[in-house]
Amino acid sequence: MSIIIQEDMTVQKKLEVLSDAAKYDVACTSSGVDRSGGGSSGIGNSVACGICHTFSADGRCISLLKILMTNECIFDCKYCFNRASNDVLRATFTPEEICSLTIEFYRRNYIEGLFLSSGVLKTPDHTMELMCKTLRMLREVYQFNGYIHCKAVPGADPVLVEMTGWYADRMSVNLELPTADSLRMLAPNKTRKNILRPMKQIQIGRIENKGKAAFNRLPFIEEESALVLPDNYKNNIAAPASVLQDVQDIIAADSIKSSFGVIKAPSINRGFVPAGQSTQMIIGATPESDYQIMSVAEALYQKFDLKRVFYSAYISINEDNSLPAVNQGPPLLREHRLYQADWLLRFYGFQAAELLSESRPNFNVLMDPKCNWAIGHLEQFPVEVNKADYYTLLRVPGIGVKSAQRIVKARKTAILSFEDLKKMGVVLKRAIYFITCAGRMMYPVKIEENYITSMLLRVKEKLPFDMDASTAYKQLSLFDDMNFTAANAQIGSFL
Amino acid sequence: MNSKKVYYCEDSLEGIFSAVYDAWSDRNGHANNKICIISGEDLGDMELFTEYIYVKNSEEKIGKVMKAIYNKISEEAYELVCGASCSCDITRGDAIYRFLIIGFSMGSGVVDCLYDKNVMKIFELNRNVSNEAHHFKGFLRFQELKEGILFAKIAPKNDIVRLLAPHFSDRLSQENFIIYDESRNTAIIHRMADQWFYTNADLLDLEKIKEMTEKEQNIDNLWKAFFNSVSIKERENKGLQRNNLPLRFRGNMPEFR
Ligand code: SF4
Repeated sequence: MSIIIQEDMTVQKKLEVLSDAAKYDVACTSSGVDRSGGGSSGIGNSVACGICHTFSADGRCISLLKILMTNECIFDCKYCFNRASNDVLRATFTPEEICSLTIEFYRRNYIEGLFLSSGVLKTPDHTMELMCKTLRMLREVYQFNGYIHCKAVPGADPVLVEMTGWYADRMSVNLELPTADSLRMLAPNKTRKNILRPMKQIQIGRIENKGKAAFNRLPFIEEESALVLPDNYKNNIAAPASVLQDVQDIIAADSIKSSFGVIKAPSINRGFVPAGQSTQMIIGATPESDYQIMSVAEALYQKFDLKRVFYSAYISINEDNSLPAVNQGPPLLREHRLYQADWLLRFYGFQAAELLSESRPNFNVLMDPKCNWAIGHLEQFPVEVNKADYYTLLRVPGIGVKSAQRIVKARKTAILSFEDLKKMGVVLKRAIYFITCAGRMMYPVKIEENYITSMLLRVKEKLPFDMDASTAYKQLSLFDDMNFTAANAQIGSFL
Repeated sequence: MNSKKVYYCEDSLEGIFSAVYDAWSDRNGHANNKICIISGEDLGDMELFTEYIYVKNSEEKIGKVMKAIYNKISEEAYELVCGASCSCDITRGDAIYRFLIIGFSMGSGVVDCLYDKNVMKIFELNRNVSNEAHHFKGFLRFQELKEGILFAKIAPKNDIVRLLAPHFSDRLSQENFIIYDESRNTAIIHRMADQWFYTNADLLDLEKIKEMTEKEQNIDNLWKAFFNSVSIKERENKGLQRNNLPLRFRGNMPEFR
């Protein structure tokens, strides 16, 4: 192991090194918990909808002081800049340094709180202990009442994870890669078990903290969760065998029922991981299809009650035989499609197996997953806007959560026309092929797959990066080993 | 035929309410009336055959309109009207008037009539105001002055300082802080462990904020260092950054200086 340590490093230098090292973690939201300020003492509160404080040059929201405790790491994950075998400048913060940075940034309204991750210094236990100590100091000595997101170190003692959970708002354990095979290949020091175990522990801790028995329970659905599905949409994972293999270990971990640490809250009890947990996986470093990835995400939502799954487009940092050579930059459009599909799982009542299948394992890069789904299910359309239930409306391209809610509200007092829909934010350019108002379509259109596909492709899509779908599509077509050739052949006929 | 009438009123909720009262009680026909807010010198083009009326604020009229909205429409409608009055849209006075006409005729159900353009307009004004307030909850920056007071300067389009006050008072309850709206010359002042108040900013000594203490300079540098190193070079996307954080917010943000 080569570690370059500079003595007497200034706090500014440490901050540069340890925020640079933390930047690939994408889970930088501050949402999920509402907590008012301490009143007569302390500093800080928390806002459930989350607040962005600035945007970095890559266009991403900065809301938390996102840093590593240390980048001295004994592990050697192939994709990671800080892996033990890399020659990089190493630094470690003291808990005091992190606390005072957090407080001074917070007072000036630079940040919503702290996001603390870490390399593995000496042992997982030693690292988790340092992180726990930092959080505890921030809460108890500095009386910080703002948002804290903390990583659980895979392999750390459950008691330490538990203690940390009483001081954090959100915790996360990164899945790193979609399948256990890929994990074995690229992160030899981590195991799926070491990752899923703390995840399960945090889930159980949260349930028990709410005064519910964590054992003998049926799949747990939280009251506050954004999606409460009507019964006919509720279903268990109905994936074919090949995909079931990928989610096997996740389903197996669901049966971990042993108790973990000492469930005892500190004196100022903010609840156990009140903002829930999230995870992240790297996309494009390994050959999983979108179908495999979405099935894993779906299983995580269902079995671990995760708040978010983040997808991180693989960025080539290290050269290694087991890594793909990506010269075209990170697969951003693919990442974007996965986030769109993730949204459909969480808020629209879709299932992974509806969006993708073994014969079509990847998303159509030219079109968002919902349009793509609708075109494949024309038999379910058109739907009558004045009658269709909320979840049916949500499945119409051009109708989002907000406009569906508005429609349901407004049609109580009037029969809606196309003109009304437009005013309520429905994107008619997409929706007209799929809806009727008072029994009529807006124009007499052919309900025919090729025709509608070509019409929808003409509606310019807003993408979150400076590229239009066609150049991004060129970028993606280079991922031949990922089965995009097949998908592209299909798309080709529409161009 | 009734003649057209334009009611000019002061730029405030009180002014709008006074004008609504006058326009309502003159029985000229709502379609012939218009409420305009006096902002600056320019009163727009005067039209022929139109009567121009300058409305003076009246406590009594304001109270009556307020009560009528509460009792005959709903509290929700009242809040929407207050929100809309903070907007920078110059037509907000008339928009509120149109909304109230529908509200008084149909009662509390008015807030569901999103297909009506006058109702939608009030929702849009509100959305615009609360979006901007939400942005400033994140983009506002305090600077610590020598005495330990936190000072923030903003230049919002809409009149939102009062919407920010509860948020920051809760968050920084143990701090003395000032939020100064430089476009309206108004400010929120919060004393440690006390309530906030809204005031004209004439009493502030704006010279003081030009001195930067050494500590402040140091923290400023730490923040800039963090801001620069947390960005991923391979994903650089200034267009997306500009969409998310429009240039107009950046003037008072240290990381863009
Ligand atoms: S554990 Fe792996 S991913 Fe984390 S810092 Fe160490 S090498 Fe990097």
